[in-house]
Amino acid sequence: MDKRIVEFVAALRAAGVRISLAESSDAFQAVDFLGVQDRELFRVSLRSTLVKDNSDLETFDNLFPLFFQAGSPPPLFNPSSELTPQEAEMLAKALRQFNDEIRKMLEKLMKGMPLNQSELQNLDQLVNQSNITDLRYQNWLARQMEQALKFREVRQAVQELMELLRQMGMNRQRVDQLRQMLQANQEALQEQLRQYASQRIAENMAQQSRRDRMDNLYNLPFHSLTEEDMHALRQEVRRLAAMLRTRVALRMKRARTGVLDVKATLRSNLKNNSVPFDIHHRDHTLKPRIVILCDISTSMRYCSELMLSLLGEVQDQISKTHAFAFIDHLEYITPLYIDNQPGEAIAKILRQMPSGHYNTDLGLCLDNFIDQYFDTVDSRTTFLILGDGRNNYNEPRTELFRDIARRSRYTIWFNPEPATLWGTGDSDMLKYQPHCKQVVQVSNLTQLASAIDHLLVSNFS
Amino acid sequence: MADALPFQSPQELMECLKSQKYIANNEIATILYLSQQLGKPVLAEGPAGVGKTELAKALAGASDRELIRLQCYEGLDESKALYEWEYAKQLLYTQLLRDKLQETLSSSESLKVAADRLAAEEDVFFSMRFLLQRPLLKAILSPEPTVLLIDEIDRSDAEFEAFLLEVLSDFQVTVPELGTLAAIHRPLVILTSNNTRELSEALKRRCLYLFIDYPSIDQELAVVRLKVPELNPKLARQAVELVHRLRTFDLRKSPSISETLDWAKALVTLNAHNLDDTTLETTLSVLLKHENDLARARRQLLSPPPGKRDIDLKRFQN
Repeated sequence: MDKRIVEFVAALRAAGVRISLAESSDAFQAVDFLGVQDRELFRVSLRSTLVKDNSDLETFDNLFPLFFQAGSPPPLFNPSSELTPQEAEMLAKALRQFNDEIRKMLEKLMKGMPLNQSELQNLDQLVNQSNITDLRYQNWLARQMEQALKFREVRQAVQELMELLRQMGMNRQRVDQLRQMLQANQEALQEQLRQYASQRIAENMAQQSRRDRMDNLYNLPFHSLTEEDMHALRQEVRRLAAMLRTRVALRMKRARTGVLDVKATLRSNLKNNSVPFDIHHRDHTLKPRIVILCDISTSMRYCSELMLSLLGEVQDQISKTHAFAFIDHLEYITPLYIDNQPGEAIAKILRQMPSGHYNTDLGLCLDNFIDQYFDTVDSRTTFLILGDGRNNYNEPRTELFRDIARRSRYTIWFNPEPATLWGTGDSDMLKYQPHCKQVVQVSNLTQLASAIDHLLVSNFS
Repeated sequence: MADALPFQSPQELMECLKSQKYIANNEIATILYLSQQLGKPVLAEGPAGVGKTELAKALAGASDRELIRLQCYEGLDESKALYEWEYAKQLLYTQLLRDKLQETLSSSESLKVAADRLAAEEDVFFSMRFLLQRPLLKAILSPEPTVLLIDEIDRSDAEFEAFLLEVLSDFQVTVPELGTLAAIHRPLVILTSNNTRELSEALKRRCLYLFIDYPSIDQELAVVRLKVPELNPKLARQAVELVHRLRTFDLRKSPSISETLDWAKALVTLNAHNLDDTTLETTLSVLLKHENDLARARRQLLSPPPGKRDIDLKRFQN
C-alpha cells in the first residue's frame, strides 16, 4: 500500500501538483490515523494533506481512482455454461471455421474470461505507450490496444458465428441471447482495456521527472513556445510573481531609512505622554509608475502576455500602470487587463485589432500616444516598450520617441531579439536606442523576470 | 501537552458540529478530525460566505473551547498579532515607584554600583505584567485549550505570513526579554482565505487543505431549515432552488449561504407565502449586492411586464 501511495504522489507531481516531502509524510501520518478501510476517509486524508491548491483538486480527483480502485473490470457473462450439449457441439463446429487468433478471442468471449496479466503485458509490447504521460491520451491508447487485439475483426466474427449457428439450426431466440451476451462481454473487455490504459499512463507519469521540463520552459525562447508550453508558463508566472513581489516588499521594508517623520512619531507616541519611544521614518522609496507599450503582433504576442501577467501580479508594488497595445495603431488596454486575465485581454484586443501581414507601425502609434495619452507620462513615470523594433519600413518617428523619453523618468526597451540582429532588415532598434536609458534583451522567462526585478529596483535610487 | 482530544471520531465531530447548528459534510468533519490528530492547522478556502469563519465558531462551541480570533488586514504586524510592551504602564510604574527606587539606589557609593543595582531590578519592568497579549500569544499562553481562528490570511502581507510559520509549526514564540514561550495546550487552528492572492508554499505545506464550495441543494436546504426553522418547508425549497439557479448565472458575486440565510429571514419577516414576482422584486437585493447582477437577475428571472407585449402586438397589427 505504501508503495502505491508513493507512486500516486509521483504521478500527482508529474501532473503538475507541487508536493513536498513533508506533505507526503503528512499523508502517511493521516492514513495511519484513519486507516484504509473506508475509501472515502482515505481519499479525504490524502486530499487534504497532498493538495493545497483549489486548481489542483481536479487533477487529484482524476488520478485517485486510477491508483486506488478495486481494479475490477466489469463482470463478464459466461454464456458457454448455459448451453445444452447439443448447442455446444454446434458451437464447436462453427468455431472451427475461423482462424486461430480470432477463434481464441471468440472462445474467450464465450467463456467470459477477462484478459489476464500476461496477456496485458503482451499488449505492452504490441503498443508502444511508454512515453505517453498525459491522461488525455487514455481513449486513444485504449483504442490502440483494441486494434492490437483485433477487436473489429472479432466483432465481425461474432456476427458470422451467429449466422453460422442459425444456419446449423439453433433456435433463433437462443442465438439472439448469445449475441447479446457476447456483445456485453466485448464491451466489458473494452472497459478493462480503458482502465488498463489509464493505469499505464499513470505509471508512466509516476516515473517521469518534471523538474527538467520546467527548467527548460524557463529558458525556452518566446518565439518557439507552443500553446501547451504557454499554458504551463502561465501557471509558472504566478509563482514567479509571488517570488518577485516578496523580494520587492522586503527590499522596500529594509530601505526605510529616510528622514525622521515628526508627525507620525508624535501621533504614535501620544499614548506615551509624547515621550518618543517609537520613532517613525519617512519612506524614501517611491513605487514606480509605469506606462507600457506592448507590441502584440504575432511574433511578440506570448512575450507581451507574460510581461503583462507579471506586471499584473506585482501590481501592489507599483503605484499605477497604464498599459497600451499596438500593432498598426494604439489601444488603451488597462481596463481590459484589470478585469480579465492578461491572456484573455490580449485575445479580446486582438479581436478589435486583427493582425494583418507585416503591418506593425510604431511610428504611427507613437503619434497616437502623444495625441491622446501624453498626460499619462510625467517625471515619475517609467516608460516601457516591449517590441522587436521592426517597423516594416514605416517612418520610425524618433523625434516623438525622444519627446516621450525626455518627459519620463526612465525609458526602457525590452527586445526579444539578440543585439546582433538590431538594425538589420526593417529593424529600427538602433535609431531608438540612443533615446533609451536601457535596452534589455528578454527572450525567455528567466530574462523577463530578472528584467522586471531590475525595473522595480532602479526606481528606488 | 498531552491534552485529552475532544473528538474520538469524524462522526462524533460531525454530530457535535450539528448540535452547534453547523452542518458539516463528511469531508469537513474528516479534515477537522485529522487536524486535531496531527496537530496541524486547517487552511479553509472557498468563496466568500460559505461558512468558513462560522466553521471555526462552531468548532469552538462543539469542543467547548474559547475562540480567539485574529482578523488579518493589510499592514498587520507582529505587535498587533503577537504582543506589545505596555510602555505607558511601564512609565507609570516607574513614576509611582520613584521613591522606592531612590531608596534602593541611595545607599550605593558609586555610579557603577547604582547601575548594577538597577539592572538587578530590571526584570520587574520586563515581566509578563507589562506584556500586552495579542491574539496569537493569548492562544499560546491560555491555560485552557483554545480554538484559534486566523481570518482572511490572504489579506495580510507576505512578511506576516512568513512570521506565522514559526508560530504555526512549533506553537512557540520568542520574546527577547523573556525567552521562548511554548504553548501550554496546542490550540486547534483554522486559517481562512478567500483566495485573493496566492499564499506561500511554505505556509500551505504546514496546513491541511480544506476547500469549501457552495453546498448541494439538499445540504443548503438542511442549513436553511436548521437556521431559519420558521420558514415553511415548501417555500424554503423553492428559495434554495432559486439561489442555485442564480449561481449558474454569470454574476460578479454569486449569492452564498450567508446570503441565502439572510434572504430566508427576510422572507419570514415579510410573511411571504410564495415566491411571486413582487416578493422577488423587493427582496432580490438581499441576495445580490451589485447593481449589474441585480439587473441581470431581474431580466432572467422575472417575466417581462405584460404592457410591453401589448404594444408589440399592436404594432404588428397596424
